[in-house]
Amino acid sequence: MAIAATADRFPADPSANVPELAPERPVVWPARTYRKLANGLEVVLVESHTIPKFTGELYVRSGNANVAKTAPGLAEITATVVRTGTEARTSRQIEEDLRRMGADIGTSAGADTSAIAFNGLTEFSSELLKLVAELAQQASFPEEEFERERRQTIEGLRIERTTPSFLANERFRRILFGAHPYAIIAPTEAQVNAYRLEQLPEFYRTHYRPGNALFIAVGDFSAPQMMEQIDRTFASWKPAEVPAAPTAPLPELRGRSVHLVHLPGAVQAQVLIGNHAITRKHPDWLRLALANSMYGGAFNSRLIMNIREQKGYTYSPRSGVHALRQHGYFSVHAAVRNEVVAATLTEMFYELDRMRSLPVGEDELADARNYLSGVFSLGLATQDGLAGQLSNVYLNQLPEDYLETFRQRIRPLTAGDVLIAARKYFDSPNDQIVVVGDREQIADQAKLFGPVTEYDAKPE
Amino acid sequence: MKPLHIPLESTKLENGLRVVVSPDRTAPVATLGVYYNIGFRLEPRGRSGFAHLFEHMMFQGSEHAGKMMHIKLINSSGGVLNGSTHYDVTNYYESIPSNALERVLWLEADRMRALKVDDENLRNQRDVVKEEVRVNVLNQPYGGFPWLDLPPVAFRNWPNAHNFYGDFADLDAATLEDVQQFFRTYYSPSNAVLLMIGDVTPEEGFALARRHFGNIPPGPPQPVADVREGPLDGLRRGEVEEKFGTLPAFAVGYRAPERKTPDWYAAAMLDHALHGGRAGRVYHQLVLEKQIAVDTGGGIQYPVGDLFDYNGPTLLVSRVLHKPEYNSEQALTAYDAVIDAVRQHGIERDELEQVKVKFRSEYVSSLEGGHGGSIPRYGLMHYLACFTLFDNDPSLVNSILDGFLQVTTEQVRSTAERYLDSQRRAIVFRLPSKKGAA
Repeated sequence: MAIAATADRFPADPSANVPELAPERPVVWPARTYRKLANGLEVVLVESHTIPKFTGELYVRSGNANVAKTAPGLAEITATVVRTGTEARTSRQIEEDLRRMGADIGTSAGADTSAIAFNGLTEFSSELLKLVAELAQQASFPEEEFERERRQTIEGLRIERTTPSFLANERFRRILFGAHPYAIIAPTEAQVNAYRLEQLPEFYRTHYRPGNALFIAVGDFSAPQMMEQIDRTFASWKPAEVPAAPTAPLPELRGRSVHLVHLPGAVQAQVLIGNHAITRKHPDWLRLALANSMYGGAFNSRLIMNIREQKGYTYSPRSGVHALRQHGYFSVHAAVRNEVVAATLTEMFYELDRMRSLPVGEDELADARNYLSGVFSLGLATQDGLAGQLSNVYLNQLPEDYLETFRQRIRPLTAGDVLIAARKYFDSPNDQIVVVGDREQIADQAKLFGPVTEYDAKPE
Repeated sequence: MKPLHIPLESTKLENGLRVVVSPDRTAPVATLGVYYNIGFRLEPRGRSGFAHLFEHMMFQGSEHAGKMMHIKLINSSGGVLNGSTHYDVTNYYESIPSNALERVLWLEADRMRALKVDDENLRNQRDVVKEEVRVNVLNQPYGGFPWLDLPPVAFRNWPNAHNFYGDFADLDAATLEDVQQFFRTYYSPSNAVLLMIGDVTPEEGFALARRHFGNIPPGPPQPVADVREGPLDGLRRGEVEEKFGTLPAFAVGYRAPERKTPDWYAAAMLDHALHGGRAGRVYHQLVLEKQIAVDTGGGIQYPVGDLFDYNGPTLLVSRVLHKPEYNSEQALTAYDAVIDAVRQHGIERDELEQVKVKFRSEYVSSLEGGHGGSIPRYGLMHYLACFTLFDNDPSLVNSILDGFLQVTTEQVRSTAERYLDSQRRAIVFRLPSKKGAA
């Protein structure tokens, strides 16, 4: 080992002992104000006076999964066009009004929810609330805006189809979810071309209803006054029954199989493996979160130490548990140089199997518990962090005291809990494998791991 | 509106290390950073990408904390960490429960004192960095566009004009001696600032800083670097092949005014009027109205830096992805019409007022967050560091807004006229290759 010249020239600190942690300071979650309005809208407010702003989201508990069978992506384009006009304002007025208020709005839809996200200066809070309420109740869906957004969507999709991580996720979700609506993460161009304007207001009228919605705001306001304003602003929102999202049985996946998406000219391979897991509400969630952080969720996890810090195969490997409303899944991904696709898969499975075979050590376990509970408390410090924590609790209908008790529920978890979670949810023998890259460079390696099906980057 | 009043205190240790503490007891967490006044602009010639490779080496082991110790000690304290290399600074930062404060300071001091790395570490991180370049640039649609494409066209002086992520041959050529040389030259207390934000008092913070950093030798004076750049005195055009993406694109770079000059304040308002979201003129005209473009963006140092975190020649950038049925010249002509209108007529009074409110609002948000929410007050740390290292005045974080809010419509027009000159700019066309994937 080469000795650093600086280390010779300068005297070292005589004490090489790592300072102990000081006693933990108590974490106090701020008080929440919760109310269900007469029309069914759930409202959650938290005061946070760190900056003279406020932030939040109006969620609608319907998303692309609700329309996967009829018009994939319809919830997304509906959300996109919602911001382009109301009965009272044109697209241009909306954008200029936002700038005048120093505010941002973002509308989007995922599988299970659609959302109008907002943030703005406290001094303009009532104007911004009014605009959010207008978007939720009186969107006008101008035809020219819709046509423009349709074209934007198509161009966006074409670029996504050249993006390795998108292609990997798209294929992976299809394999994992089969006939279930969660199989589809993006529409095809033909499906986008088939949208009819009237489908958007129809989705909107059906799903954007107060009983199907959740309003979360965090910021520099007085919660009682804000609640009163919200009550007034959203009182006119008419309730209606909302149909439940469709569902379908998941495919039974037995044994590994390999799905190779050919991206000509790729100079790197995107590797993604995983299996079915659980939702946020499942009693095993924390066990699994802990197991995941030790496997590949934290920087000092086993997988990252192995394939990044020891072997240098990749820059950004990670594992994660992805919870949707009806189902969840566990996945591991890394973008690696073409020569080490097989070596990477070998190490991914090796580390999974090690987690499944042997209990983790007590030190490693204690480190991981500290990590989870510490990182959780970082969410307290900012308005955005708090809003994210609240969304997690209320969208997933977790227990009222979830935030307050999180740390005490992490503390008693044992090596046995981690082993149970790993054996149940790191389903290495039945993992599905997706590799996106240049076929010539990687096919020989991919086929070592199971029967290979090849795809091109075009949609089905 | 109330003037900003972010509490902060600063001091300087005998070895030249500057220390800034901004207390906030909202939650028992803290964000810490050490910023070194060296970025990729000043990496050695023949060693493109070295400043960033070096940043990786800072996680590979220091005198008393071997490889993995930094990461393990911080994660196991409930914290997260990272580092990043910019034009003129490199940072190392952690967000932690505040009971880990002293531990993290010890770690940062240990690696400021001495880096202890070997050839194996260097080989390992060279491989990691190459995969980083592939995943972010070489294997991504529009990777590196335009932050890697514009400087070589716009600038003539190597520090400003080279490949900041690094040519692979240069990364391969880097040696352990280069690493230690770079460390000795730039990574000294007198060339750094330590920041502590959150659950820590100035007294506590200063005492801990003295205890752990006080006896690190100050290091040699910084070499004088010539980053001067002649004027962008012509129309400089370049072309780069887009291997994956399906849309033609172009980016335009104009020389930006020097920081904290009256033109710079005006240019920030001008930039916002042009590139600020969907109301910005470029997006509004090209995407929403004329529907020639699919996406637009821009800003000073866009998209890898911002108005505050540079200290040398830089560009005001526009980026346009447009529909393939328009050729490059047609799209550029439409863009130029937007720019010409501002140069001739300036912007509306009401428009400027809107821009100022939005600018103020975004500034405040960037202080609180600014890093995906996982690093509380990353933005505050970042700006305090830049104002300390570049301006020797961290309190600018509270007062800098005033300069922007005083800008007049006439200043905006005149700045546009002088800086957004179609004959004095760099343009890079990023054009999909014929054999594109789609």
